[in-house]
Order: sequence, then C-alpha cells, then structure tokens
Amino acid sequence: MQTEDTRFSKDNLRLLVEGKLDWEEVKRALRLRPKDADRFWKYLAVLQEKVPWKDRILLRISDHLYIVAKEGGGRIVKCDCGQEFGDYRINWKLSCRIYVRRTAEQLAEVVATEEAIPNPELVEIREFYCPGCFALLGVEQVPIGYPPVFEMLPDLDTFYREWLGKPLPDERPDWFQDRTLQKPAEWAKGK
Amino acid sequence: MGICYKGLTLKEAIDEKERLFEKTGYAYGLKNLELVEQDPAKFMRFQMRLVAACINVREMAKLISANPASLIQGELLFLLANPEGDVTSTSYGLAGHLQSFPYIIRSIADLGFEEDPGINVGDIFATNDALYGAPHNADNYTWVPIIYKGELIGWTVGLNHIVDVGGLQPGGLGTISPNVFTDGFTYPPTKTGANFKQHRWWELHWKRRTRTEAFNVLDDKMRVAGCVALHDRILEIVEEFGIDYFRKALREIIERERRVLVDRIKSQAVPGIYHWLQFTRVSYKDVVGKLFAASNRDWVLHKPGEFHIKSDGSLFIDLEGLSSEGPFHCNGYPAGVRMLTSLGAWPMFAYTSTLNSALMYVEKWNLPPGSMFNPQNPFAATVMSLGEIGGYINMFHNCLSLAFFARGFLEETFPQDGTGVGYGLAGVLKDGFQWAGGDMTLITCWAQGATPYHDGFPAACCQPNPQPDMGETEMGEFLQPTNLNVGRKLVHDYCGHGKYRGGLGIGMCQMIVEPGQSLIMAVFAGAAGMGRGAIGMSGGYCGEQDLIVFCHDTNIRQILKEGGTYPTDFTEIREWLKQGKLKVGSVERYTSSSPNVLCKDGDLVAMASGARCGWGDVLERDLNLVQEDLRYDWVTPRTARLIYGVVTDDKGKVDTAESEKLRKQMRDTRRQRSVDAKEWWKEERQKVLKKEWREDLRNMFADALKYGKFRREFMGMWQLPDDYSL
Repeated sequence: MQTEDTRFSKDNLRLLVEGKLDWEEVKRALRLRPKDADRFWKYLAVLQEKVPWKDRILLRISDHLYIVAKEGGGRIVKCDCGQEFGDYRINWKLSCRIYVRRTAEQLAEVVATEEAIPNPELVEIREFYCPGCFALLGVEQVPIGYPPVFEMLPDLDTFYREWLGKPLPDERPDWFQDRTLQKPAEWAKGK
Repeated sequence: MGICYKGLTLKEAIDEKERLFEKTGYAYGLKNLELVEQDPAKFMRFQMRLVAACINVREMAKLISANPASLIQGELLFLLANPEGDVTSTSYGLAGHLQSFPYIIRSIADLGFEEDPGINVGDIFATNDALYGAPHNADNYTWVPIIYKGELIGWTVGLNHIVDVGGLQPGGLGTISPNVFTDGFTYPPTKTGANFKQHRWWELHWKRRTRTEAFNVLDDKMRVAGCVALHDRILEIVEEFGIDYFRKALREIIERERRVLVDRIKSQAVPGIYHWLQFTRVSYKDVVGKLFAASNRDWVLHKPGEFHIKSDGSLFIDLEGLSSEGPFHCNGYPAGVRMLTSLGAWPMFAYTSTLNSALMYVEKWNLPPGSMFNPQNPFAATVMSLGEIGGYINMFHNCLSLAFFARGFLEETFPQDGTGVGYGLAGVLKDGFQWAGGDMTLITCWAQGATPYHDGFPAACCQPNPQPDMGETEMGEFLQPTNLNVGRKLVHDYCGHGKYRGGLGIGMCQMIVEPGQSLIMAVFAGAAGMGRGAIGMSGGYCGEQDLIVFCHDTNIRQILKEGGTYPTDFTEIREWLKQGKLKVGSVERYTSSSPNVLCKDGDLVAMASGARCGWGDVLERDLNLVQEDLRYDWVTPRTARLIYGVVTDDKGKVDTAESEKLRKQMRDTRRQRSVDAKEWWKEERQKVLKKEWREDLRNMFADALKYGKFRREFMGMWQLPDDYSL
C-alpha cells in the first residue's frame, strides 16, 4: 500500500469533497507544490467509502456519477444511488429521465430574475434526472434539436498506464471511442 | 546577410524555430537546458531582471496616458520578445496579448520588412490590424527592435486598449460593423518613427481617424516611451550577462516553461475528450438597413468546442462546426483566438509570475478556413472579435475543472461562464465640443462560478481585464461628466443556481446629466437572449444573462427634488415602474448589445452582468447556506422556495421539516413530469424532421451542417434521411 502523502491528508480530502474543509486549509492545498502525488488514490478511497455498492470506481465524472469496472467485465456509468447507465462510451444523458422547459413560465421556475429569462423561441432548458433517485445530473440550455452534449469521454487506459503507472487489467484500444450514436440507431430500429 | 544571429534573415530564423519544434518537440530543439542546469539561481536572477524591467517601464509609461483603462484598469502591457517574436518576459496587465506578438513578427517577416522599409536601430513599428496579428483594432501594438552590434537580438513592445477606434459606433467595443471599412481606424504593420521618435505625420492619423485624439495621442506616446525605456534597460542587462547568455537564455525561458505547463496538465488532469458549447446572437436586422443589405439580418452563432487533453499532456482544441464568417463585427483571426483564450489557460494551469509564449507550444487548434475565426474574406470586420472569442476562455475553465474534479483536485476547479457589459459613448456638449469615451466597469469585477465545494465568490476576478476592481467612479465621471453613477451593487437572485450557487452579478445604474447638444451610448453585451452558457456544471444551472435598460424622459429630477430614495439598479427600476413611482416616456430593454441609443438629460441607464454558473443539484443545497443567503438578501424568500425548495417562517427562518417535505414533493414532480430518454428523443426528433425553427436558428443549423463533424453527429443523433437539408 503506497504511504500516504500527508501534506494533504485523506481526512482533509474527505472534508473537501463534502464541502466542509476550512477555507484556510483549502488555500493551503491550492498553494501545495508539487501536489500530493497520491491524491487520485486517496480520492478513490474516499469515494469508495461513500458509495453503497461494491463495484470498483475507475473515475468520478460528476457529483453523482462514476465510471466503474463491472465484476464480469465492462466499464459502465453508475449513480451513487446504484442506478446503472450502461457503457461509459455512450453519453449517459441518453439513459436519463428528461424534463424540458420550453415556455416562459417553465423557464421562470429556475431563472429567478424575470428580465434574464432566456427567449423560449431560441432555447429550451433540458434537465437530466437519474431514473433511480431523480437527482439532477445535468442541465443544458440549447436550441430545440441540438444533439445532447457528451461532456466528458476520458481516455482511461492512457490515464492509468501512462499517467498513473498502474495499467487497468482489461485494457483494449476500443475503450477510447465515442459510441453515443449507437443508441439512437437502436431506437430508430425500434429496439 | 540577414539581420539575425548567424546571418539568418528574420524569415529564415522564424522558419527554423518552427522546423526545430516540429522535428524535436522541444522549443528551439532544446533537449537540454544548459543555462538552467548550470546555475539555476543565476538563470532566475536573469529572468527576474527582465520581468522587473518590464514592470518598471509600465509604471513609468502609464503616467503619460490619460486613458482610464490604462491608468486604473490595467489595460496595457509592456513586454520583451526574442527575434523570432516569442515573448519571454512581460509586465503585468493585458496578459493575453503577448500571444499575438509572434503572429505580428511572422507577418512583418513574410511582408519582407527586413528589406523594405528596413529594420534599424531606433525604428518604431506599430499595428492594430487583425489580419496581421493584432487581436482587434482597439488593441494597438508599438514595438522597437533591439539591435546589438548589427544583430537583431529582440524586440521591446508596448500595447494598450484605446478609448475610441473611429468605428461606426463610438468607443473601442463597437458591435455593429459589416466590414473592415466600418471597423474604424485600422493600420497594417507600419514604420511610424525613427531614431526612437515618432514621425510627426503619425499623430495626424489619430487626430483625423478617431474621436478621442487626446487619449489616443497620449496612449501612443505612452507606448513609445515604454518601448524605448525598456530597450535601454535590456541593453544594460545584455552588457551585464553577455550577449551569448542573453541570446540562449531567452530560448531556455520558453522551453523550461513549456515543460512546466505539460507537467501540470499530466499531474492534475485526466486525458480524454471534453466538450463545451455556447450560443450568442448578432442583431443587425433593421439596424444597418439598405446600406449594408447583406448585413440586414440576425444571426445565431454556434460556438462548439472539442477540448482534447492528449496523452503527452498537450492540448488540441477543435472548433469544427463554428459558425461561418459573415458580414458582422465578430470575425476573428487565429492570433486573436490564441490571445484571448489564453486568459482561460493562465488561471487554470499556465499560472506563472514570468509570463511568456510557452503556451503557444502546448496548444494546437483547428479553426476551419471560412469559419468565423479563420475568415477567408480579407475585408472581414473584426472590431469586436473578442466579444465572441471571449466565450472560449470558459471552455478552458469548465473542461479543465471537470478534469481536475475527476482527478480529485477539487481546489483547482474554477468553472466560469462568460461575457460582460461595457459601453462606448460620443456626444457634442452645449458649446459644440465634440467628445467620446467608453467604460469597461462591468467587464471587470466578475463573480466566480460555483465550485464542487463552495459558492462562487462575488466581485472576485476578471478574465479579460487584469485589474479585477472596477476602478474609481470619480475618474470615470471626471472624464465623462454626462454619466452620473447612482448605483453599483450586487443584485439578489442574479446568478446560476445549484447545490453551490454561482457568485451574484453586479448591477450598475447611471443618470444622464446635461449632455448638451447630443449624446449617444452603444452598449456591448453578450449572451443575447440565450443565456450565459449552454452546459450547466454537474446539474447546476447556467449563469443569468447580461441586462441593459434605458429609461427615457423620466421624472427622476422631480424625484430628486422631493428628496428620499431613487432606483439604483434594474430590479428597483422594474419595481418603481410597476408601482408608478418612476414615470418614463419610453423604455428600451436589451439582453445583448444595443445599437446607438440617443440619451437626454434625466434618462436612466441600468446594466447588469457577471452573474455566474451554479454547480450541482439545487435540491441538495445545504439549508444553512440558504439561511445565510436569506440573511444577507443574496437570495429572496421567493427564490429560496421556488428553486431550492426551502420554506421559511414569517421571520425569515428556514423551517427544516417543511423544507424536507417540499423538496420531496419537488422530486416527485420531477418523476411525474419527466420522460424516458427514448420518449424525449422521439418527440425532439419530430421537431427536427419538421424543421420547427425560426429563421435565425434555422440558418444556424444550416450553416453548421456544412461542417462534416457536426453533420455526422446531428444526422446520427436524430437518425435523419441522407437527403435531409435545411
């Protein structure tokens, strides 16, 4: 087990993740040069302790969502409530529950300043919820018909092998591919 | 025999620089940093002497200017570049602008300046032409060659953002300009002086081609004084360290910094592909009329960004799908893109006290020819290219924040969404005196976006303007007596909401006082009607957009005579109008840049900007944070209930039990109102098939579909027939 770089402790990282770390400690972390080299491993340990399920976390991609390694193989997106979103190479937004705000009244529910309500003729606000716990996972403010934005596709094999020096056991060249368009193709075929 | 080291011409030296990097991956082919390794302390002393010299001349030269942007808002910069144009040291100020200088030097090399008009001791050169490397014509570059025993060993450079450029609209932020001929005074690289002194004819150009001769002539003198003083300082440093050390060290500064930046990416980020997006509008319909028929329309601008963090720690940014160039004010060239977007790189990973051009070696960009930031029409207007390029600063902030968040460096996250408000104005006083000016107050002092662990700070920072404070009101009013500031403050509720709330934006209110014969204001703003960003952070909402309100023919003088209060921001103007306390002849509202607006005594103009994005789910916001918001009136009880699901008693105290109940109801409402993604896809697809867009949106999609990458994604997402077209 790698000895912990205590210049920024795992306990402080947990407090930072929970939004409870004292501001002076945050500033100390900001000034820390070089950074604690084991930060990522401490981070995964803090996160693994917080989620109720056992799948190994490979990467956290938003407040609630993680890319995890499934027992039988495969890398999927999973919510901390346990809801699974399928292959991480497909935009998880296409596995959500979706609510679209299209009228001025609907927009006014989330834009407090009346003069700042966007023009409903120009944009809609899309809200992407977890089908399991209905946490608000993502928000887009785009024209009707704009393809959902795939905000982050990590190159996990390069990250683990070259940057962290600990290759993943199931490395494959086709992990780093955007496969989002498979889903609408299936939908179009009535699947 | 060329002017550079070993007799190379300037063009040969620049070609060699590019060849070496392409071949070796090291700046100037420097695999080893000999000077750094031999004596790091001496190297740092040398580098700091150069930086100190730049700062020293800036503090001296700026006192020559009368331009408030230079004097109190730091809108200037002095720098040293090596012969190939790479900037090795700068003062503080408009940091991004150093990225343009290599393009300017490449231009004069390709234009054959070495032969004609020649590069000699004491020559003074200048340009503000975007086609040749300046970001836009408000940013004026003046530079002087350093020639040591016949060899060109560097350039000293001064630049600043001038008050008025003589364009269609007054000021330096005009947002109506169909082509370069309406952009205002634009001059390609020109030899403007000799023997360290400007030719007398050069001042006539400022006098005849711009509205603010006094400001612009003094700014020109400031830039020259700074360049010449820095030239002399640098020669002293050459004598002290020797020419061989000087020549070699300027190159090692670049390569050493390049390695620092790549290492920072590899130690704090996660490699992969990130996406960013923004939409803005350009409104020329019925503004430019028949005179510029091709411009007599509106545009929605599509601004995608594909941000690759590569395995070697470098960055590749692909803007394929960006709206095409057009007869409007916001075309830009690669130099302007590299310049302004660096303001997203400095804070996120390229921070240093010794700014230099190393960032140029860490980023590669795809700016498709014919797109808005690579126009093929040499007469494309670029007067306010930075208004649209500026959005891409936040691509760095948000994509790198996601990468740092995924890696566990939450403290390094700094999400942002962009745009700010400024204005130009011009008038004729009662006695016939013609004058003009501008104000960038709300392009400083922006709030911070929320992070994954705390709310955004209000009035925290500013990307495009180095001095994030707003500058002294008195200086602005001294120079522009017609605009009396009656309000400058944070505006409650005016932010993007989330588990962590974006910093509140700032509202500014002015009363127009005795403008004389005439006064027009042209207000610059972004995020036209479409919000400040297109993607919220981890479920947070985007920041609320810029707002501008003109109230004409008001009873404000009567209100003032009666004493008591008066409206001091746009929300109070709204309430006073509703209650009939404020009477007006007419009201003009804008959520994007305004045309030229005629103002009279007693008019009120209120602007608001800088409201930033939230992070996370609003229903997860800690009740204590909402309580604090209510206590300081940062958020109103109505918003606490409506958006955050927080109930308060009549004394404004949060009722925890009732709040938990309301939040549960709101989650149930989410369950009931939402549909499976597949259902949503089917419904949205029908709208795409029926092409249910208004004209400007339809034109945007039609234009974007010309670009292969967007076409594949759009057609694939909606599974459209091959013959689908707009």
